Amino acid sequence: MNKRNFKRGLKGFWWLTIVFLYLPLAVVMLFSFNAANSAAHFTGFSLRWYIKLFGNQEIISAIGNTLVLAIVSSVIALVIGCLIGYGMYRHRHRKLGWLIILIYLPIVLPDIVFGISEMAFFVQIHQLTGFLKPGLGTMIIAHVTFEIPFVALIVYSRFVGLDPSLFEAAKDLYATPFKRVMHFMLPTIKPALISAFFLSFTLSVDDFVISFFTSGPESATLPIYIWSAIKKGISPEINAIATLMIGGVALAAVMSLLLNRRRAT
Amino acid sequence: MSTSDTRILSRQRAVANAGGAAISTRSRAMVMEARHLLFTVSPGAAWIIVFLVLPSVYLMAVAFMSNGPYGLPQMPLSVDSFKQLSGFGFLGWSPGNLYTLLRSLWQTFLSTVLVVIVAYPIAYYITTCREKWRPIMLLAVVVPSWTNQVIRTFGWMNLLAPDTPLSDLASALGLISPNMGLYPSNFAVTLGLVYNFLPFMVLPLYAAFEKLDTAQVEAAQDLYASPLKAFWHAVFPQTLPGLLAGVVLVAIPAFGMYVIPELLGGGKGMMLGNLVATQFAGGSNWPLGAAGAILMLIATFIGLFAMRRIGKRLGGGEEVVI
Repeated sequence: MNKRNFKRGLKGFWWLTIVFLYLPLAVVMLFSFNAANSAAHFTGFSLRWYIKLFGNQEIISAIGNTLVLAIVSSVIALVIGCLIGYGMYRHRHRKLGWLIILIYLPIVLPDIVFGISEMAFFVQIHQLTGFLKPGLGTMIIAHVTFEIPFVALIVYSRFVGLDPSLFEAAKDLYATPFKRVMHFMLPTIKPALISAFFLSFTLSVDDFVISFFTSGPESATLPIYIWSAIKKGISPEINAIATLMIGGVALAAVMSLLLNRRRAT
Repeated sequence: MSTSDTRILSRQRAVANAGGAAISTRSRAMVMEARHLLFTVSPGAAWIIVFLVLPSVYLMAVAFMSNGPYGLPQMPLSVDSFKQLSGFGFLGWSPGNLYTLLRSLWQTFLSTVLVVIVAYPIAYYITTCREKWRPIMLLAVVVPSWTNQVIRTFGWMNLLAPDTPLSDLASALGLISPNMGLYPSNFAVTLGLVYNFLPFMVLPLYAAFEKLDTAQVEAAQDLYASPLKAFWHAVFPQTLPGLLAGVVLVAIPAFGMYVIPELLGGGKGMMLGNLVATQFAGGSNWPLGAAGAILMLIATFIGLFAMRRIGKRLGGGEEVVI
């Protein structure tokens, strides 16, 4: 085989794959501006589906739920995950195998098993005690559970990257534990915390399966709303809301990435 | 005498004065450390145990209970759920659930193979490009997976709907009858799975290709190996750990997939995830759903075990896939 042709073939295959990867997203975005009510023919540019969105009370409340869920769960996960991350670093010489397994469990468990076991558990607790009624509360609990590991791992890797003598120095200067946390630890890991927050936020907004199974009748988030809209039948309105979500998540992801890069330098 | 020595001494004196007990500074420090570990780690550990480990254990228990009214589990213990999963129902044996199981296995296998076929050249091509382009190219592969899975699948529904160019092409070729869409079908599910999991394979394969020892390839060429032989003996074995890691990352979640078969598969494209979800969402039979979930858990643990073995062979270095 000719070497140059081989390379050219590879290049063609690369661009084909890129088209394959971006085509579905491009179609959704393109047809969100379609004047006609059709998923097959683009007749002209219009913003009518976007205007229609903001008159839809269900979508407004879904956006509200999504944001409340993402912000509250990310803040809780940040506090708990940050503590674990520091604990893992400080005690890294001990045998913490059980902790590592515990932290990886939410990451490796298939979404559907995760969602269903929590749903079954919450339903039973609710029947027995009246607590944990399926709704935004149970969704926050579930989201915190899958966000904790990511926060912990980001914070841990930030601490590992630090010079250990910094900790000695803070101690030698007679800083009280409180001062050490406020003036040394938090400022040094601030970039990691911000990046972990954005990652948690993105994961939360992006999640469908776990939210779907832990939600109640009045706590639909955007992905859940989109899901039920699709189930009812394809409408161009879904394209518009999906395009807004693609934009929002891309923005959050880019911010997290940029902050992470700044951390590295 | 250094300051820390003085501190230790004074602390010891304080301890001795306080109770005269023979607590050494060392054991005191150990207690402090243990307390510190407890304080930092226990909130998160407790959270995961209460809200994930307990529910999973409960789910496993449900699988061994019998089906009560409204599909809720009740005593006595039984293995009916597993019998039903293999097809034994109230009306005798019917192959429905077994078909779903086999279809899940087949779809997982097929999509994993296809993902490998696409990802292998892509990962290789990225390593042949200039260094400054490589991170951007990897990013380009990963970025679509940041979008919500429901939206991505919805994109494919748009593309495969009746009357679209792809459907027209397929009906012109006689693959589907006119005015039909390419979905719902098993083909659409396979396509959706390949689309969804491609980045999960490209990343570990790229990592393997980047570490490739080219001296071995040159040695093969010096010995007049044909390109195919050089690839098979010098390149492929070196990329095998990355390939296997990718297979685990693709096959395990594919086996438990819910969204893609639900939207692209229709009734005849159902996979295990849909079977499980229906038992809970419709409230028809929790124990049966839990039995299906146990199958997924088993698959996950096999995957994790394999990953650990591969990790050892790779010599550490874990990829965190976002």
